[in-house]
Amino acid sequence: MSDHNSASKFNMKDEVRRALGSLEKVVANSGSMTSDLSIDEELNLHSIGWEPVELVSGISLFSIPYGNWNWGQGEIEAASFAHAQAFHNAIARMHQEAARSGGHGVVGVHIERSIYSTHVEISLVGTAVRPVGASTIPVNGVFVSDLSARDFTMLMVAGWEPLGLATGASFVFAPRRTMGAVIQQQSQNVELANFTEAMYSAREAAMERMQQAALEMHGTGVVDVKVQEGPMHFASHAVGFVALGTVVRLAKPVHQMIHPVTVVSLNDRLIAFDVQSLS
Amino acid sequence: MSNPTNDLPQATEHRLEELEKGLFTSDLSVNEFLLIKEVGFHPVGFVMGSSIYHTGIQTRKWGQSQELTKLTEAMYNARELAMTRMEEEAAELGADGVVGVRLDVNYYEWGKDAAEFIAVGTAVKAEDGVSRLNQLGKPFTSDLSGQDFWTLSQTGYAPQGLVMGTCVYHIAHRGIGQTLGTTGQNVELPNFTQALYEARELAMTRMQDEATRLGASGIVGVRLEEKSHQWGSHTIEFLAIGTAVTKTSDVVTLVKPTTIISLDN
Repeated sequence: MSDHNSASKFNMKDEVRRALGSLEKVVANSGSMTSDLSIDEELNLHSIGWEPVELVSGISLFSIPYGNWNWGQGEIEAASFAHAQAFHNAIARMHQEAARSGGHGVVGVHIERSIYSTHVEISLVGTAVRPVGASTIPVNGVFVSDLSARDFTMLMVAGWEPLGLATGASFVFAPRRTMGAVIQQQSQNVELANFTEAMYSAREAAMERMQQAALEMHGTGVVDVKVQEGPMHFASHAVGFVALGTVVRLAKPVHQMIHPVTVVSLNDRLIAFDVQSLS
Repeated sequence: MSNPTNDLPQATEHRLEELEKGLFTSDLSVNEFLLIKEVGFHPVGFVMGSSIYHTGIQTRKWGQSQELTKLTEAMYNARELAMTRMEEEAAELGADGVVGVRLDVNYYEWGKDAAEFIAVGTAVKAEDGVSRLNQLGKPFTSDLSGQDFWTLSQTGYAPQGLVMGTCVYHIAHRGIGQTLGTTGQNVELPNFTQALYEARELAMTRMQDEATRLGASGIVGVRLEEKSHQWGSHTIEFLAIGTAVTKTSDVVTLVKPTTIISLDN
């Protein structure tokens, strides 16, 4: 929508201008400012007195030595180690970038994670944020979180603060069944104890590592934990379990209740014309 | 799984001990976390149970509709194993219940009939210290989201347990004669209709029986899922699943919802 035909119609524009005005101030201060936040998120941040500073990233590739996925027993330590290191390095780089731009934390971190037989690739992109007018040196170090700016706002309103990303990963060989067992179990209802145990061991190791990371950050909780599990696409007899979440701590003396209000939206469902349903 | 008194592996015990030191983990989103707190609960840990299970074989008669009891049994048994292990983890944490429970079945390449049955959720504990265990003295389970959990508690109901009923049913094929006889006609196919009805009824009844055992006064959020898994098109699992609830307080002042018109369409 171009400027000249809409300027007179939308009051909304003033609101947007006000939000954008604050962006321009930052530009004047630091010389450059980018952010992948939407205007809504931007307003949300400003409502608790925070502002975006800079789009920051952290990338790391870590190699897994050849031959680790073939045959074996127990945990594939080289893979678990590579995953932990790749994450550690990517987060460390993001910390550096955020600190250099004067951010106190990074929100809305988009995590891309790929595991290949030869290496682990982690790429993080997010927006560095800080309290409006704060000094360029963060007091408690820089936090990194995959919570959206909206979630970050809600968390702060309730008196909590994010401390960082905690991750844990474990890759384990699922033992193959002997031919005899396969034939014997063919027609039976039976739990496959060795597979179940392999899954459990990967899961426990990964969750344990995530918790350890959270404790090291002096967190009291991990929210929005995402887990991914299953066999590796390049090695079906190896199972992986990855857990990651944002470590949080109560910043205010007590949890602040949010008192939600129930609403009923009067909008009708948008009925779109679907050409495909005609065929 | 070697310890006979408790089904949980050693590593799990260790992880849970760490959680008791005051750290919580949870797969709840920030919104859900805040709403759970609003109701007076605090998350204590991300709990899970899983079982990799091999389902047996049962011969089906081409032209006969029937329940495949062996497969039904397998689906029940495997889910029960996963759920029980999840509940054990919650009990170990001293939790009052588990919210946001998800039950999944994953198929891997380890064998045609081997599947992982998994149950995950967030264990929660009441902050006022009053026990909210269900009638059987176990932590309640519920597949309601944080948002639904908050809304439910506004109505004076409390979840008792995740209840399910399942039925694996083989639906008869039609004979050549029948198929030819109905070609070109508008006609109901009674054998198909009847088979689907019966299978659904069996699943629903079993779910209701579970709710009755928990002394529940109702089941909310019921979903009816129909899946063929890996058995071919004529063998279907009917799974009915929902959260059994009981009324906890008689006097409830329901909040009147505000009406809004959202402009961001």
